[in-house]
Amino acid sequence: MEGAQEELERRSKFLKSLIQKKKTIEQQEQHDHLQHNNVRVRACDMPLPLQNRAFRCARDLLDSMPSKKLDSKRLALTLKKEFDTSYGPAWHCIVGTSFGSYVTHSFGGFVYFSIDKVYVLLFKTAVEPLDHS
Amino acid sequence: MSEDAKKNIAGALTARPNSDDQKLSPLPSPAPAVPPKKVIIKSADMIPDMQKEAVDIAVAAFEKYNVEKDVAEQIKKEFDKRHGPTWHCIVGRNFGSYVTHETNHFVYFYLDQKAVLLFKSG
Repeated sequence: MEGAQEELERRSKFLKSLIQKKKTIEQQEQHDHLQHNNVRVRACDMPLPLQNRAFRCARDLLDSMPSKKLDSKRLALTLKKEFDTSYGPAWHCIVGTSFGSYVTHSFGGFVYFSIDKVYVLLFKTAVEPLDHS
Repeated sequence: MSEDAKKNIAGALTARPNSDDQKLSPLPSPAPAVPPKKVIIKSADMIPDMQKEAVDIAVAAFEKYNVEKDVAEQIKKEFDKRHGPTWHCIVGRNFGSYVTHETNHFVYFYLDQKAVLLFKSG
């Protein structure tokens, strides 16, 4: 009985250490990724995969823009469409160098980050069925 | 005859200082007034009354707050209160946007150099 208890505790500790290692590795990878792409998260309520999707999309588009001139509306449109398509409507995107905002968003559907010298606000709201009455 | 003519000329000369005095006197009285904010509705899908309401609330918010986020908060909360949730507001000098809004609930306007985006969604 004591032997079994000790064995369970040993396995439990081992699993916990595995989980912790995985988290540490993931955090490090995320940090490296952000650093490399010059991205800084300012505020967030969004799963990591969606965050990374937004960062990659923004990075790719900014890199493709000629003469490095910012086209805020195009970036906003691209991000919104990608997220509407991939994660369902309705997403909203604001891109610029100087703005303040106050919005209400769905759970898990909000990220505010800076990439290079531009700020991006991406958030989701619940879609209500059209009223035909 | 010639002496009379000279007297007339002298009379005309003395009249000019009076007119100068009259011109000078009104200068100090008018006080310069603060010009009203310039409003430009850039894009709207909203009934006129609601548009005016948005502008009025924004003007008041800019007078009350200096930080753009606070201005946005004031406008959004006022519209949530008056016209039901859920409204979203963006205020700033430089931004582009792409949003989905409910029909008849979107306005984008400028107050001097600041842009205001207000829309309902969700």
